[in-house]
Amino acid sequence: MIDILLSEQLLAAAIITGTLYALVALGLNLVYGTMRLLNIAHGELVMLGAYVASSGYNYFGISPLVGVIGAGVLTGLMGAAVYIFLFRNLLVKPELSRRLEANSLLIFFGAIVILQNIVALAFTGTPRGYRYLDGVIHFGGVALTENRLAGFLIAAAICLATAIFLRASIVGVAIKALIQDRRAAGLVGINVDRIQLLSLTLGFSIGGVAGALVSMTQEITPFMGFPYTMAAFVVIILGGLGNLVGGIAAGLVLGFIQIYGVALTSPQWNSILLYGAFVAVLVLRPQGIMRGGRGVR
Amino acid sequence: MTRALPFVVFLAAGFTVPWIGSTYALGVGLQLGMWIALTQSWIILSGMAGYISLGHAVFFGLGAYFVVMTWEVIPIWLSLPLAGLITFLFAVIISVPVLRVRGPYFVILTFGIAELVKYVVILIESSFGQYSRLLFGTPEIGDLYWVMLALAIAATALSYWIRFTRFGHGLLAIREDEEAAQSIGIPIVRYKTLAYGLSGIIPAMVGGVMALRTNYFEPEQAFDPIVSFTIITMAIVGGSDDARGPLLGAAFFTFLSEMLWASAPQGYLIILGVILIAFILLMPNGICGRIFPPAGSRI
Repeated sequence: MIDILLSEQLLAAAIITGTLYALVALGLNLVYGTMRLLNIAHGELVMLGAYVASSGYNYFGISPLVGVIGAGVLTGLMGAAVYIFLFRNLLVKPELSRRLEANSLLIFFGAIVILQNIVALAFTGTPRGYRYLDGVIHFGGVALTENRLAGFLIAAAICLATAIFLRASIVGVAIKALIQDRRAAGLVGINVDRIQLLSLTLGFSIGGVAGALVSMTQEITPFMGFPYTMAAFVVIILGGLGNLVGGIAAGLVLGFIQIYGVALTSPQWNSILLYGAFVAVLVLRPQGIMRGGRGVR
Repeated sequence: MTRALPFVVFLAAGFTVPWIGSTYALGVGLQLGMWIALTQSWIILSGMAGYISLGHAVFFGLGAYFVVMTWEVIPIWLSLPLAGLITFLFAVIISVPVLRVRGPYFVILTFGIAELVKYVVILIESSFGQYSRLLFGTPEIGDLYWVMLALAIAATALSYWIRFTRFGHGLLAIREDEEAAQSIGIPIVRYKTLAYGLSGIIPAMVGGVMALRTNYFEPEQAFDPIVSFTIITMAIVGGSDDARGPLLGAAFFTFLSEMLWASAPQGYLIILGVILIAFILLMPNGICGRIFPPAGSRI
């Protein structure tokens, strides 16, 4: 048992899973941070991205590495459309914006059911997969398929690029300002409407990209989204709202909990560990861990 | 008189259905009764206190699981009420940590709990070497129908009656402004806990009846998030501020589902989602809010 736990193979698996969770959560963090909208349909964006990449490869022979871009563009456009046609109107209607948080949750809940069933109608509910870059590479004692490595590298690169973007560019700083305090951000002259549009687009787009990466290594189904939503919530609550470094660390923590937890028990514990972490995090420390007591509700 | 009309019509229909003498009609009646009972129970917590639960399937599933596990061990006239009692206690116990979480986090937490319990039940079942369970010798649909009718009437009466009690007014105050409610002396913790517990009793019994009806139990099915989703859609579309709302919402979707479920299940769910979103955006008070405007808005 101990030698399994000490193997580099398990370590690599945990890091890869954790990085992917960090990426999924990054998208949700941008949306929740800037607009305070809990997008429980975020996992469905992951699912859509996965179907874009997989159908691109299966039907048109387009490399999933190109499909990643297609997935990001599609879900990004959805984000822009949702903001322009839905939330911009919702925010100006007083009776709707008063209960915006609750209402948007219900709207996203409706969106989950719609998206899952449209995809199930189009592609059936049968799990799908494809083989791409499935050669095995060895690093010391670790054997990785090329697609897992590629997915990991892309996810890590996007996390890193976003972190740099939020720190170094003026738009990124504006996004961070909005996450910290919306009203004050508007007062100092930030175009709140435009930043919200940008973060929603970016957030949705990252979800789609993550899905395309997931599809390279796992079988996908129309109902695969929920666990990713849950994982993303665990990560942003643990890591702190709008805290990207915290998010990456929290993603890794969750990856380790899940991979090592399953290694110690059995694959049936996979979902229990994930949902258990979710419930535990919300009940024990809804204000986040990284930020001490001053999390944003 | 017009205010009482929906109750009278539903009650009359409920007692008429068995005399039609068709199993199909009984099946539809059973479905309708189930959704009315579930939605009315959901309203106690989510409509009145404003704590929206996305995970009411957890009570339905736990009730079904209890009745299935005790089938042929204890009689159902005992196991059904016990199922209700157990979920009541379950809700009261978990409410201690859960109800401290407020606002949108509470909403997603209810969903997470329902899924967590589902996977725990799957794990327990697989440790028994079971994937699903078949029940033999369950009661006829004709008998189950009467039980379901009683549950639907009980749930409707409960959600109607609570509104006129001190407790019900307290819940409404919590929904409008929890801090203000607390400051004028409403025991918010006790009220919320009680509302959470009460909203779980009847769904558990309904889950038990449905398990007996299908003779079959599978955790994935009993704890299906679609159950929670349908409850919410019915409540929102009917209008959750009035005990008549769930009747109308449940009736509308039960008949829609009869028309579509067999031929196009995915189509039915897509329509459900679209209608839910449309109502939230365009008619947040539901059908009932339009037909019967709340007293304050009639000039």
